[in-house]
Amino acid sequence: MATHLTVGLAQIDCRLGAVEANLERHLEWIAKARERQVELLLFPELSLTGYRLLHLTSRVAMRPDESPIIQRLLEAAGDMSVVVGLVEEGREGFLYNSAVLLHRGEIAHVHRKLYLPTYGIFQEGRFFGQGERLDLAPVNGQVLGLLICEDLWHPHLARRLAIAGGKLLAVLSAGPGRVGSGDKLESQDTWECLTRSTALVNTCWLVYCNRVGWEEGSFYAGASHIVRPDGQILMRASSFEEDLLVARLDLREVDRVRWRVPLLQSHRRDIEGLK
Amino acid sequence: MSAKDRVREKLHLNAELAVQALVSFIKDAVETSRSEGVVVGLSGGVDSALSAALAVGALGPENVHAFMLPHQTSSPDSVTDAEEVAAALGLTTYNIDISPMVDAYFDHYESDPGKVRLGNKMARERMSILYDQAKKLRSLVLGTSNKTEILLGYSTIFGDNASSINPLGDLYKQQVWQLATYLDLPARIVDKKPSADLWPGQTDEDELGFDYPTADEVLYLMFNFGLSDEEVIALDYPETVVRRIVTLEENNRFKRRLMLIARLSDSAINLDREIPRD
Repeated sequence: MATHLTVGLAQIDCRLGAVEANLERHLEWIAKARERQVELLLFPELSLTGYRLLHLTSRVAMRPDESPIIQRLLEAAGDMSVVVGLVEEGREGFLYNSAVLLHRGEIAHVHRKLYLPTYGIFQEGRFFGQGERLDLAPVNGQVLGLLICEDLWHPHLARRLAIAGGKLLAVLSAGPGRVGSGDKLESQDTWECLTRSTALVNTCWLVYCNRVGWEEGSFYAGASHIVRPDGQILMRASSFEEDLLVARLDLREVDRVRWRVPLLQSHRRDIEGLK
Repeated sequence: MSAKDRVREKLHLNAELAVQALVSFIKDAVETSRSEGVVVGLSGGVDSALSAALAVGALGPENVHAFMLPHQTSSPDSVTDAEEVAAALGLTTYNIDISPMVDAYFDHYESDPGKVRLGNKMARERMSILYDQAKKLRSLVLGTSNKTEILLGYSTIFGDNASSINPLGDLYKQQVWQLATYLDLPARIVDKKPSADLWPGQTDEDELGFDYPTADEVLYLMFNFGLSDEEVIALDYPETVVRRIVTLEENNRFKRRLMLIARLSDSAINLDREIPRD
């Protein structure tokens, strides 16, 4: 198992419902990431379809193992591990908000979003089914935990992945922006509070890949970032522009932090109930 | 900190970020719709001045087409002020007198409309011209209604409340003032008493019966914080004002939900089928 992993976050804009146009953008960014020796490249939530689909959801759904779109992405990815967001049509015909890991010509892992926000401007519960599994994804051994946006607001998910051996949590997001009186976007403050505390209490790397651009009068607030296992932010993208963040992460840093701060080792499964 | 202090603090925006977001909104909407620019009616007031300024930030002055659309009863100051805004933003202006169109209707068919109907007709005539010019100029109509007036329904339906895109619709009136000041719009425009100028001497605050800062705070407490009428009154806002704001908001909801379609099928537009636009 390699001790280091070069991770890229593709903070892109997505066109709502325009899968072909979004595919082209993915291919461009995979090429950019390759130039920077990225080994694991992440795209935002629903990156191939756009987020606020409402009744377009079923029209852009795809079965990953049969999709020519996924085939083209697999070919483009080659040796790079790439995670894209899409509307997945399951075998039974249900629709899911999914993150799909493409690796060496195969669909190596699918994470179906577990918590579907259905309040305020969010309407996911009307159109998607809830995922029912939470497993580590096979990147560099089993060290990657994938979560989608709202999943991070339910802290037991991150905890479960960390205890199972996750050293890197990746959060795909389509997080809308809000401007308040503070010096950063209100939405960015909120997310960084969450990402930093999640990394800190689970002593793991955490990467947060958000998108930018507008959909029906609401903008996505970018500011994708990478948090170290001690909760400090290593780097951050801009709020309004597309951006590619690349960092070489030392996975052994997770072990060193965990030896110093053994929060997971002292986890009380008898009380908290996680394996 | 009391809810009253907190609301005052919250109403003060990070102007730099708000402007950055709104500029990118206009830029994105014009690009996505493959338009070449925007048309905006300049009234001489702060709302249209701010909308135009944001559009200039997004598109450059050459792609912002500013129209002054006075009626013979409009205050001459309105045109002077609109010209001052245009000069400050480097905009070329077009002046179209709407008196012949508006007066032809009333002179021939409706001799005594009263000031409200006359004002509504003027507002719709202006919007009719802006949409025609937008077609000619392959542009979007830039809205100028702020959140306070939208919530109070203080607008003419299909008149000044119409638009292709509206960058101001989530800004309370005092946030409009704040951003206008931040963008260095002429102080006289920012400081003058708000007026729809639909009849001589009209001012918004006289007609509404309360001032905008109070309305902003009451609406913020109710919409953003979710306080009830009674809880707002308990914070020492005058009961008559709070009740009037609540009544206006309730009575004018129809202006915010356009196209009320009678549903017969299981595919009614906007009810069964919410198809988003990008």
